Amino acid sequence: MTSGAGYRVAQDRLRNFSIIAHIDHGKSTLADRLLEVTHTVEGRQMMSQVLDSMDLEREKGITIKARAVRLEYTARDGLTYGLNLIDTPGHVDFSYEVSRSLQACEGAILVVDAAQGIEAQTLANVHLALRENLTIVPVINKIDLPSAQPEVVMEELETVLAIPREEVILASAKEGTGIEDILEAIVTRIPPPKGDPREPLQGLVFDSHYDPYKGVIVYVRLAAGTLHVHDRIRLMASGAEAELLELGVFRPQLVPVKTLVAGEVGYVATGLKNVREAQVGDTVTTVDRPAATPLPGYQAAKSLVFAGIYPVAGEDYPELRDAIEKLHLNDASFSYEPESSVALGFGFRCGFLGLLHMEIVQERLEREFDLDLIASAPSVEYEVTLLTGGPPVQVDNPAKLPPIGEIEAIAEPWVRASIVTPSSYIGPLMELSTNRRGAFIDLEYIDPVRVLMRFELPLAELIVDYYDQLKTRTAGYASLDYEEIGYRTGDLVKLDVLVNAEPVDALSTIVAREKAPNVGRTLTARLKELIPRQMFEIPIQAAIGSHVIARETVRALRKNVLAKCYGGDITRKRKLLEKQKEGKRRMKRVGSVEIPQEAFLAMLRTDEA
Amino acid sequence: MVVAGAAARGPRSSIGRYLRAVEAELDLRADALDERFGRARPSLGSLYLGGGTPSLLPAPAVARLVELVRTRFGLAPDAEVTIEANPGPDDRGDAGELRAAGVTRLSIGAQSMNDAELRRLGRRHRMSDTAATVAAARGAGIPSISLDLLYDVPDQSVATFASSLEAALAVAPDHLSLYALTLDDPAAEGLTGPTGDHLPPSPGALRWRAAARAEQDEDRAAAMYELAFTRLAAAGFRGYEISNWARPGHESRHNLAYWRRDPHEAVGPGAHAFDGVERRWNAAHLAAYLGALAPGDGTPPGLPPGAAETPDRRAAAAEQTILALRLDTGVSTDEAATGPLAPHLAWARDAGLLASIGDGRVALTTRGRLLSNELFTKLI
Repeated sequence: MTSGAGYRVAQDRLRNFSIIAHIDHGKSTLADRLLEVTHTVEGRQMMSQVLDSMDLEREKGITIKARAVRLEYTARDGLTYGLNLIDTPGHVDFSYEVSRSLQACEGAILVVDAAQGIEAQTLANVHLALRENLTIVPVINKIDLPSAQPEVVMEELETVLAIPREEVILASAKEGTGIEDILEAIVTRIPPPKGDPREPLQGLVFDSHYDPYKGVIVYVRLAAGTLHVHDRIRLMASGAEAELLELGVFRPQLVPVKTLVAGEVGYVATGLKNVREAQVGDTVTTVDRPAATPLPGYQAAKSLVFAGIYPVAGEDYPELRDAIEKLHLNDASFSYEPESSVALGFGFRCGFLGLLHMEIVQERLEREFDLDLIASAPSVEYEVTLLTGGPPVQVDNPAKLPPIGEIEAIAEPWVRASIVTPSSYIGPLMELSTNRRGAFIDLEYIDPVRVLMRFELPLAELIVDYYDQLKTRTAGYASLDYEEIGYRTGDLVKLDVLVNAEPVDALSTIVAREKAPNVGRTLTARLKELIPRQMFEIPIQAAIGSHVIARETVRALRKNVLAKCYGGDITRKRKLLEKQKEGKRRMKRVGSVEIPQEAFLAMLRTDEA
Repeated sequence: MVVAGAAARGPRSSIGRYLRAVEAELDLRADALDERFGRARPSLGSLYLGGGTPSLLPAPAVARLVELVRTRFGLAPDAEVTIEANPGPDDRGDAGELRAAGVTRLSIGAQSMNDAELRRLGRRHRMSDTAATVAAARGAGIPSISLDLLYDVPDQSVATFASSLEAALAVAPDHLSLYALTLDDPAAEGLTGPTGDHLPPSPGALRWRAAARAEQDEDRAAAMYELAFTRLAAAGFRGYEISNWARPGHESRHNLAYWRRDPHEAVGPGAHAFDGVERRWNAAHLAAYLGALAPGDGTPPGLPPGAAETPDRRAAAAEQTILALRLDTGVSTDEAATGPLAPHLAWARDAGLLASIGDGRVALTTRGRLLSNELFTKLI
């Protein structure tokens, strides 16, 4: 391993940049290639998606958490530059993480697929980058594809984003073409970081993780000053102080160095045991010579989707609590607080950036902490105005909606959805969005065959398989991005579900009155499919107040028997029984009914044609 | 004692080598028992030649196997000696020769007494073959005859099943086994590895099973079982086990030993033995079996590949109760009311799965038999 001193580079030879791209446009492949060409990762250690170290990230082919890596590149001018690549997630749920990463950079490589062209998230990411005054290096990737149309994509970049075609670099990360040009552009076009190394230290914490040996490790971008190993540091917002155990850069594994100077990106092992003492957005300074003011931090991540997370077995609650606390140290972008449900017992109400985020958090809790969990139906956060006056009440759990007689109005969050799609799908998308109580705003052609459509619709409608429907109806061609646009009052009602005549609070949902009968029918029908037959007949009802609007019945189980059981079968049959038992153990007993985990997410699919 | 060819699939030309291997294994297993318990062991109460189609073996070979078992393990004078037979004219064997070889019980894989269903099941024999097999066995003086029938077969209705059952009763068997058609995939259960006791099903078999599975219907199957339960009781049969009915005195002693968790020895590919504590089995692969026991290169025979498993005390206790509950004699009320399984048995009584049968015992009800796994999964 190279000694730490090798990583010292003068500030004017530092470049901090991100790669922004729509999902699947080749961001991770390009990052891999940059690492390879600059010998940051040797060939034999090279595996695809180097920066996606979480198993889930590799499996799903997406980046979930931002990550940083330091590359060293000797440019055509003969000088060696230190390039800090700060990786960003590509999914719309994580645009919060994207904006955080962009704030630590002076430039961004914009990757656009030569065959797909600009997508909804390309636009959103470019706007985020421009808001941060970043220099954009446009790259058209995958030019090796037979279906590549770099000319059309250049046209799109010019008309939609005012990016001159002369600036565009044509590349194929897969085949390695254009990689040198990209590195040169990073060096020549992106400005070096500013900030005086002699000033008092100001370092912005842009991420953190917890290490059992080194305590909280914060990822910092130094805006001013110089940080030395063994400096005593203070986190300006929390007031926590610590002696610096180790500092270093990302190669992409952590490599210790002796100093970090203004403009650099690196990590600091604080030894702190509580991640709350070193939160993302805080400013690191030194105790000896503190900065006068902290850096402007980040806005806290805003949870858009809420759901209860419960252990399948009630006695696992303490394990779940520990697991959530630990996971939160690594992913501060979800929120949690204890709650209890009549049906599910003790658990936590969690807030997520979006549905994918929810799925990921649940999966990580199950995998990394070996838990069996149930998530209740996701909900958005409603604002309820009561007849008794006073400020509106926030309700993120439909079961907690005050009695209808006390409510004056319910407002729900709305979003503006931007969709990029081939123009042949305008009709189906109009229909989809109006079915979801959406209002069409406008449409513009970004090239002769593709359009950018904008709708406004309730977030609650978007989280229910809107994205899947969008993909289904456009053969996968449409892309979606959305942003919040505030709350609007709606004619909303609470839809309760009764299983075997008992209300299951975790299945309650808030829906538009006009859609309640339809939702009720779909939901009961889905639950009928999902709840296995049991020893007695199980009625499933959907009701508004005491008014039942839909009903299905799970017929009683009549046969569950092993036909043969002789000498040679006994071990095998015991194992089959054990497997059946395990299946039952993963179900939640509500009253006398065993309900599988998937049932609680039944409303996430509408089965619309 | 079981002599199984359950998993053995191979050309008829390898029957000779197969028999040499089985005989070699019998000797090796007997040697081991001699060493462990001495030669003065109690004789076997039953012998079962089954799995595959042992009736395909030449009668002298069957006789030699029975003799070898008698010599090395001992056979009680009233021992039950069962052989499985397919009803096809080329498969069923010669009843008289089998009787002369010492066979006392013939278990016939009738499967259905409806030719359309037999075709759907891919069987070569016809219902008339089953009747002929029974008649020949009766004529040869084989004292106990059993038929296997399937229910929950694709294209089967409750009515066709009822008439198939009537046709089976018309040939007057002493014993009937009724199995729901089970369309499983042993490979998916992890039973087909190098030491697995099953052979991997062919892709064609898997396709057939998947297609047939879609035509099964558990409500219809339950109705068939209930019908059989009533009809067979009226015909004087005792449903002594979940899937088995017998006229008094014709209960399979061999199978009862399994359900009572008595020890048994076993030889052949895929065969399972139990010594009261440990379950041991031979791998199913014929080549490996033959290679070990009939090497053919002058080296002495050795035990075939296989594996063993010892259920822990809890699993063993659960197994004991589950097996006992498969029988109409159930478990004693005292046993049901004490011990760690008592709450589950109480639940089953409340749910109508278990009921008192007098004599201080409780057993599964008809509904309890059909839903037995609901209870057994709690016991395990």
